[in-house]
Amino acid sequence: MKTEKSQKQTDKNKSKKKTVLLIAAVVLLLAAAVLLTLLLSGAFEPKQEKNDHKGVVGVISDDWDDGIEEESKPQGEKSGTRIPGYSAAEMNAGDESLVLSIGNPKENKVGFFATLKLSDGTVLYESGLLKPGQGLTEIPLNQTLEKGVYDASVYYQCVLLDEENTPLNAAESAFKLYVN
Amino acid sequence: MKAKRVFTIFLAVLMIAMTVVSVSAAELTNQKPGGQTEVIAKISGSTPPDPGSVSYVITIPEVVDFQELEYPSDTSVPNYSDVSYTLKATEINNLDPTTQQISVYVKDQNATVNGDQEFYIANKSDANIKFSYDVYNSAPVGDNSVNINRNAMTQAAGYYLTGFKEQGETLDGTLRLDRNQLAAHELADIVGDYSGYMVFFSAVETI
Repeated sequence: MKTEKSQKQTDKNKSKKKTVLLIAAVVLLLAAAVLLTLLLSGAFEPKQEKNDHKGVVGVISDDWDDGIEEESKPQGEKSGTRIPGYSAAEMNAGDESLVLSIGNPKENKVGFFATLKLSDGTVLYESGLLKPGQGLTEIPLNQTLEKGVYDASVYYQCVLLDEENTPLNAAESAFKLYVN
Repeated sequence: MKAKRVFTIFLAVLMIAMTVVSVSAAELTNQKPGGQTEVIAKISGSTPPDPGSVSYVITIPEVVDFQELEYPSDTSVPNYSDVSYTLKATEINNLDPTTQQISVYVKDQNATVNGDQEFYIANKSDANIKFSYDVYNSAPVGDNSVNINRNAMTQAAGYYLTGFKEQGETLDGTLRLDRNQLAAHELADIVGDYSGYMVFFSAVETI
């Protein structure tokens, strides 16, 4: 009788152990799934720098690339400042952001302050200081636009990377902005 | 019974995991605009550029620097200070050179169509003391060279400087300041550092 009771107790203990092991396995599996998901989503990648210039927020990336195949620089070539140019950009009426690659090519030795504007002077976006290699591809707009075709441009004010951001020559890249 | 319990727990875990994955997949960042999907294709011939992408890069001179300007001793002869500059179509993507070009215009940072259209360098301490210079799209300046700012500036973009059609094209130009202007002032009144800034305007235009 005692032996039977003892056997039952042992079986009960074994069953408890199995349940604990099962729960532990489930928790581990769940943790692994969450970890894998976070890794795939890039949650552990370095954070991008936020631009807080004049209250307009944009996500500035440190590895901005103009997307055009590199050309080797001949030796002895005079230095200068590389300025990106555009053919056209496109968005929908009422959109609060514009897909446009604004940035400072990493080969430059100077900084940029970029301003996106319309030909009538309407300013749609002003960046903070963009150091070489910094830029953004989605521009938060100060205002939405109605359907139409606009003459737009990005004004690149070049500056020295000193404390005063001493101004240098500037450039303006014009393009058509299609609002559908 | 046990098997049923295990299967139920397994299903619950699977559903939770799938929910987490689907929420995460909806979060695309600028760094990975296309998510994890890879699409491979090969298209031959000229393709239109993606709207909003960089379609060309031009290289402009960083600064106008006439170095030290010597006060002229004889103003009955020209006293020019020339400095060269280079403009380059560093990168061009998807431009049809038979119908398109990258047009480049230039103006002084303060120039306007209805106002002062000259190129200036100004005294850093007193901006009212300034001297004008001319812009040439050739170097060196020869007898037949003419400055691009000889006529009125009719466009807000500035004076037409050049048109690029091919990657790697360059323009060597000259900035010329006539130092005889300095003689209109006492040297003591105009000593100091000067600076001037140019604005290079570019656009893809149909030719």
